[in-house]
Amino acid sequence: MNPDKIIRYSIWIYLAIFFAYLLGPLIIMSATAFNSPGFPRMTPWECLTFDWFGALFRDERILNGIWNSVLVGIGTVIMSVSMGLAGALMLTQIWPKLRATYYTIIIAPILIPGVVLGISTLVFWDRINRMLGLGADSFLSNGLFLTIIGQSTFIASYCMLVLVARLQRYDMTLTEAALDLGATHAQAFRKVLMPFMFPAIASAGVLAFLASFENYNTTTFTFGEYPTLTIELAQKVRYGITPAISALAFMIVALTVFFALVNEANIKRKALIAEARKDATVGELAGKVEVPGFLSRNPAAIALIVLLIGTATVVGSAMAYSPDQCIAGVQEQKRLETERRIQELRDQRAKDAAEKSQQEGGAETQSTPKPSNNSGFGSVFAPGTLEGSDSDAGDAAPTDSGGNNSGFGNVFDPNALQNDDN
Amino acid sequence: MSAGVGVDLENLWIRFGDFVAVRDANVNIKGGDFFSFLGPSGCGKTTILRAVSGFLDPSEGNVLIGGNNMQGIGPNKRPTALIFQNLALFPLMKVWENITFSMEIQGASARERRKRADELLDMIALPGQGDKLPSELSGGQKQRVAIARALCAEPDVLLLDEPLSALDLKLRQHMRTELREIQQRVGITFIYITHDQGEALTMSDDIAVMRAGVIDQIGDGKTIYNDPSTAFAASFVGENNVFRGKVSKIIGNEALISTNRSGELHARISTANQGKLQVGDDAMMFIRPEALSLAPTGTQGDHYVTAQVNHEEFEGNTYNIFTEGDGGKEIKISIPNLGQSFDDHTGQPITLEYDVSNAVVVPAGELASE
Amino acid sequence: MPGFLKEFFNRNGTLMGSIMLGLVLFWVIGLIILPQLSMLDFSFRPNLPPPEIGGPKDVYTLENYKYLIYGPEGGSQDYNAVDLAVFYRTLVAAVLVTLFNLAFCYPIAYYLGQTKGNHIRIFALMLIIPYWINEILRAFALRIIFGETGVFNTLLVGSGIFDTPFDFIRNDVALYAGLGYAYILLMIFPIYNVIESLDHNQIEAARDLGAPWWRIHWRVVIPYAKPGISSGCTMVFMLSAGALAAPQILGGPSSLWFTQLIYQQFNDNSDWPQGAAYAIVLLVTCILLVLAVMRLFKVNMGDIGK
Repeated sequence: MNPDKIIRYSIWIYLAIFFAYLLGPLIIMSATAFNSPGFPRMTPWECLTFDWFGALFRDERILNGIWNSVLVGIGTVIMSVSMGLAGALMLTQIWPKLRATYYTIIIAPILIPGVVLGISTLVFWDRINRMLGLGADSFLSNGLFLTIIGQSTFIASYCMLVLVARLQRYDMTLTEAALDLGATHAQAFRKVLMPFMFPAIASAGVLAFLASFENYNTTTFTFGEYPTLTIELAQKVRYGITPAISALAFMIVALTVFFALVNEANIKRKALIAEARKDATVGELAGKVEVPGFLSRNPAAIALIVLLIGTATVVGSAMAYSPDQCIAGVQEQKRLETERRIQELRDQRAKDAAEKSQQEGGAETQSTPKPSNNSGFGSVFAPGTLEGSDSDAGDAAPTDSGGNNSGFGNVFDPNALQNDDN
Repeated sequence: MSAGVGVDLENLWIRFGDFVAVRDANVNIKGGDFFSFLGPSGCGKTTILRAVSGFLDPSEGNVLIGGNNMQGIGPNKRPTALIFQNLALFPLMKVWENITFSMEIQGASARERRKRADELLDMIALPGQGDKLPSELSGGQKQRVAIARALCAEPDVLLLDEPLSALDLKLRQHMRTELREIQQRVGITFIYITHDQGEALTMSDDIAVMRAGVIDQIGDGKTIYNDPSTAFAASFVGENNVFRGKVSKIIGNEALISTNRSGELHARISTANQGKLQVGDDAMMFIRPEALSLAPTGTQGDHYVTAQVNHEEFEGNTYNIFTEGDGGKEIKISIPNLGQSFDDHTGQPITLEYDVSNAVVVPAGELASE
Repeated sequence: MPGFLKEFFNRNGTLMGSIMLGLVLFWVIGLIILPQLSMLDFSFRPNLPPPEIGGPKDVYTLENYKYLIYGPEGGSQDYNAVDLAVFYRTLVAAVLVTLFNLAFCYPIAYYLGQTKGNHIRIFALMLIIPYWINEILRAFALRIIFGETGVFNTLLVGSGIFDTPFDFIRNDVALYAGLGYAYILLMIFPIYNVIESLDHNQIEAARDLGAPWWRIHWRVVIPYAKPGISSGCTMVFMLSAGALAAPQILGGPSSLWFTQLIYQQFNDNSDWPQGAAYAIVLLVTCILLVLAVMRLFKVNMGDIGK
């Protein structure tokens, strides 16, 4: 094999490892949303189920968290995009001697740990609140206000970076031209600068919303009575995990992929139109521009449609499909398995007893179940008593149990209780 | 021609910190004139234009448009329209929207705007192109759209900031004619900024020559070319040969200059300096290449110059002879090609003759760098 | 300055200028500078119940900082060994995560930046999508994988490499993998942005002159990409040192992250000044470290965020 080939292969291997690391966890997590065991896991695959989605939508706290996240998100988008835009415009015309200092200050929130931002926001507005002599229930100490303010502090910096990149390509003489033609400053801003900035403002807005939606470090200090989805998720994940969270994750992944494809298809479509316009004759422009078909030469659009059909099929079959029979089957199988083991154990004991009578020692070690056998003792106690929970849910509390063996976990398993909550 | 609105600059100073961009400018532009500010880049001509359009406040002095002081009136309230150097067409608006932007600001309906756009598109010879985007036009077409957009605002004064500089030579020459035609048709005052003397000379009624924030001379093209008042104006506008020396004698409006290398030469004192130039002053004498002609070798006199030929060029319509000149600069002689036979003089001494009325004396001063 | 202000309003108009100036001032002063100063001030005060704030007991003190070093007064140990160890461990681990990310991300940033083709857009999309998923969910995904019956243990045990499940969480493997995972994109994009603008001819020229591939990177690509590398490293370091979600979800029971101590001071002990002091220590140490490294490699602050 020549060196060139080796390099090419190693690049592909590296890429494969890289994307496996990047996407693997998400794929596995998504898959666990469709497996029936009460602890999110992919192996062994038991039954295809859509029940976790139902459980998710019955969870009041999650729904409330989504609502709060949306409220916070809208507030943060408005605040951080407007501050980011003002900050970016200021950067282009600030006194040159001040520029470096100013830039350092407005970029700093990106580097300041979110925890620090959360604390400083909390401390500062608490002090303002006290200085104004307002009570603990004033809007200044309201979780919604504090969270929006705290998040906007650094999200505005992200927006500023996105906007400044576009603004640098803006020709300031365009604003002057508008003024010269009689526009007021506000009109020049609205009719000339804003349309130019619109793509960047839209991406800054999306970025701001996503950053706000997923923020944990800052929000955890400021949320007060408005726990966002992320806060609720963190509470759940810290104290025991269920596939309902996987279901939520799967939906977020699906939505993300969906919007990414929409965006991609749209970009491609615009490029195709621009291409068509360039070739168009004057007559075509004056009359009608023939827009190329939405699908032709647009792989993203095709992928989008495939995704939509896929979703429709899954949702459709989810309506019709019931995993009950399968789950019952699995349980029956487990029961049989357990019985077989108990029988084996009995035989072993009997054999041991027989051996013991012949020669002493060694019996104890032999009777210990193999540690690799995950469904060891748990099964003995579980299936009959706990409906729908599987024998390995003991993993849910590795931090509590110290993650030793999975033996008796089931009996004390918080998941066993949690399943009822759902 | 209709009497348009005039523009006056009164004792105009513009400073940026310690830097003086415009120094005490006094200009009187008549209504309906095509007026050019001509000067090298960085001479302050664009600064003047920005002060007239209202993007800059003068540090001292006044800008008057139609006799009204423009102090404190923003660019959007002035009766001026500016054509930017880069044209500044709004990239996201279609051509017709660009052209009628000023009407949109005033709240005109789309139908009115469309109608006006079509009229203006006809005028600039781009009929039916209203639905294109600026990026889909060629350079010359963009140029004309920018003019139409400015004219649509019905300004009293149109300001043009080197609008032709981005075009190639052929197109530039074509647009000169076109601009002049448009100006004559609409009859409003044009103020034109350029560093290209060809543009200034061909289009303008009057020209102001600027150097480092100072207006050296104002006059029509012929005056600027034939009767420059400073060394800078003489050397910046067109090609010129310079002879350095001292004034040795003044005879009415003429003078004898004892030059550093070519002996005593006779010349006319430029109109602006008549009565000001004194005997003993450092002076410069300028003779255009086309004003020199070959004389029989060895002829003596105060309008003959002897020189050594360095090399010669044939340019088609002229023969150019380059001789060793004064102060490191070559003297160039252009002889029209009228089909006569022409000997090669390279390496030989020759004698050059000129008409005293074609040699201009000005006080010694800064020359335009090439 | 009034001249600057006058020109500013001339340029932007009174209304737009005021809105713009107001927003920038609110952001810079109201959201960035004053809260940080306020927190600094707070960290020098004793922990008092609200009625006593501003009272005679509310004086400046170094108690909160002393606590980090010496522990509670009259404590059994000379030094606050637990908290100091956590602090040290956090910084070292953050550095390691940064270095790992740099080594892991540089090749892909280079590949994306210097390769042309349609698949690059798809790769970029695949990079961005995980970043749009909630931070908590990303940690959750890793917890599923590294759990005792997770994919790794099933594979390892199933293939007979280990005969008992390996506890990835207790051994912090999950935590480091999670931190690295969380900030991959922040390392890739700054480097990618710089490398994309590197003229491929430079690399061709170096290759033409006979340089081996590692020397091309060492002498041509890395010096050129330095601003991007420093930008990425700074962000990853600061964010992993300040991470909270990943340690809370993926950290073992006995290994704390410094931010968790801050969180405990605030939420469990209700000792805000103490928490503020810890936050200041974290912030200042991180900034000093970053500045020192930037000085060492001769990088400017202005390059960050490009």
